[in-house]
Amino acid sequence: MYRLFLAIRYLLTRPINLLGMGGIAIGVWALVVVVSLFSGFLQVIEDHVQASRSDIVATELPAWAEWPALRDALQHDPNVAGMAPRLLHYGLLVEPGKRPPPAPLPGRSAMHGGDQPFLFVFGVQADLEAKATKFDSWIRHPDIPEAMRVRDLTDPLAPIKNTPTVLLGIDRMRREGLKPGDSLRLMTANLKRDRDGRMTPIEIDVELIVGGAYQTNHGGFDGNNVFVDLATLQQAIFPDAPNQVQEIAIRVNDPTQLEATAGRLHREVQRTLEKEGRGYGSVQTWREKNSLFIKNVAHQRELLKIVLTVIMIVAAFLMLATLSMMVTEKTADIGILTAMGGTPSGVTMVFLSCGLVITGVGVVIGLTTGVVTAVYLEEIRQSWLWATGHDLFPLSVYNLTRVPCRIEPLWLLQVTGMAMVTGLIVSVLPALRAARHDPLISLRGV
Amino acid sequence: MSTILRATGITKNYAIGKQQIPVLRGVDLSIKAGEKVALLGTSGAGKSTLLHLLGLLDAPTSGTIEYDGREVQSLPVGERARLRHQQVGFVFQFYHLIPELTALQNVLLARMMDTSVLQYWGKRKQAKASAVEMLQHVGLGERLHHRPTELSGGERQRVAIARALIAEPKIVLADEPTGNLDSATAKEVVDLMFTIQQERQLAFLLVTHDEGLATRCDRIIRMKDGYVVDQDLTSDEQAR
Repeated sequence: MYRLFLAIRYLLTRPINLLGMGGIAIGVWALVVVVSLFSGFLQVIEDHVQASRSDIVATELPAWAEWPALRDALQHDPNVAGMAPRLLHYGLLVEPGKRPPPAPLPGRSAMHGGDQPFLFVFGVQADLEAKATKFDSWIRHPDIPEAMRVRDLTDPLAPIKNTPTVLLGIDRMRREGLKPGDSLRLMTANLKRDRDGRMTPIEIDVELIVGGAYQTNHGGFDGNNVFVDLATLQQAIFPDAPNQVQEIAIRVNDPTQLEATAGRLHREVQRTLEKEGRGYGSVQTWREKNSLFIKNVAHQRELLKIVLTVIMIVAAFLMLATLSMMVTEKTADIGILTAMGGTPSGVTMVFLSCGLVITGVGVVIGLTTGVVTAVYLEEIRQSWLWATGHDLFPLSVYNLTRVPCRIEPLWLLQVTGMAMVTGLIVSVLPALRAARHDPLISLRGV
Repeated sequence: MSTILRATGITKNYAIGKQQIPVLRGVDLSIKAGEKVALLGTSGAGKSTLLHLLGLLDAPTSGTIEYDGREVQSLPVGERARLRHQQVGFVFQFYHLIPELTALQNVLLARMMDTSVLQYWGKRKQAKASAVEMLQHVGLGERLHHRPTELSGGERQRVAIARALIAEPKIVLADEPTGNLDSATAKEVVDLMFTIQQERQLAFLLVTHDEGLATRCDRIIRMKDGYVVDQDLTSDEQAR
């Protein structure tokens, strides 16, 4: 009993110990808030990416891959609910009479997610695409104003005045001041092998009319991808291969069987596209297809964890300093504690208890304030915005309606464990120093 | 009266570098229940060292220490600590009160030494009542919640006496308990100690330089250069 009693009395009479406690609390608070924010952000990103993709995609298909053969091979899988063929190409969309925008700097192309003039052009069959993805809800998104909406939602890629249409992301349309009915030119090129076997670029120029806007909620997708009718793109880039397909979007019946289904379909694609003993093509889930992007955010979260853990380590050193100072001050008490029946291990426990109480209280304060802050992050953002005019987390950049937050109980446990272990380590050193102190020195000398 | 404490052939050497410095060179003594013994000697005679050995705060280089006939000098640390708590009360020249605690808490701390949190919680009211009673007995009923810095030297020593007695030891080892007090306060403290000693029939071993104080004890043991040079009944005791 005397260990805990004395530890608490020592702590209560030394306000300097609040420094260590405050440091631990701030470290825990930061770890809870920032990681909850990033976990929420990661969740939102996954949701947005998933919403803009099909469940599964057959990709890396060779030039001789044909849609009918692959459709026949894959449609029998029990978990396949819908499939859509796609062609993918890249190019510039330019308003007639205007010069093409300058080329992007290296590393800032559309492929890297930047808002660049280069776009990915998806050639799709609207009816099949609607069965394989959420294409239908993209063009019916409630945030699209009526004036920018596709006129015929039942046939969104139908030509207007005999000219093929293109669907653009709503933000891109707004930024470039486009509206349905505006003319655009798709400028691109294709490589053709000449008689000598050399690849020669062939310029392609397609007249298009803006059919309307779409919105998936994934800003990176909407900003860099446009949709045209499959036949239009087919005729422009592969006029000699009317059945060629570069990608197949697939929707599944049971999302819990995603990986297993992808595995089966992969084997089926490889079998169908086997040539000279080698299988071609690849089938990936939406998560695998976007793993690099998702991992990037997850990686940033891990880096932040490391950075914030440093705050806790600094707080722990602060605690080490205050506890060491306390041991130095209290060596006089060690003699009398021993005389009253205390043991070296008991003396160790007195000072260890001090450290653990500091850590424990710091962790409780940090966890409580951290969870409350994380839960009310949006309200805090709005209050800050109202008070200072500065937006801590501009939601429009991320297509969010409120600051995301996901509190993970496992992470709270990990933070608690990490803080307690750190507190224990820095408490052990001064506690052992106290235990090694000769009580007779305290009793003899003053 | 039975012998509570017996020390036989006690030696104690301290190592300074490679050199062994003998502080006690073969001390024999015994103390009976209810007996007051004064340990007299000049500085460096080995009085305090002997007191620490008898109080099991340190281990002798050789010799035996017996409590109630049981050899204890080579018991494990934990066992010696428990025995110290149960059998011995200490009073020191510099009081050694814990400055963060009030007088009451300093005394209560001694009751907490061998109990767990749960055990103490069960008998906390009883412990507090006996601590209050003990402090009232030493004349500090009005100073229970004062910290050591708010008490005079004599009051601090009274708290130390209450703390030494709260665990109901069989023997009190006092190391110059009046050495830091003026003569009037010293007399009050000694009177108090001897009154309690009489009431409880405690054995008392008192280290002192003060011949006058020593003559109030039943027996005087004189030490010089690590030896016991004389063990006599005092004239008071002889007269009795």
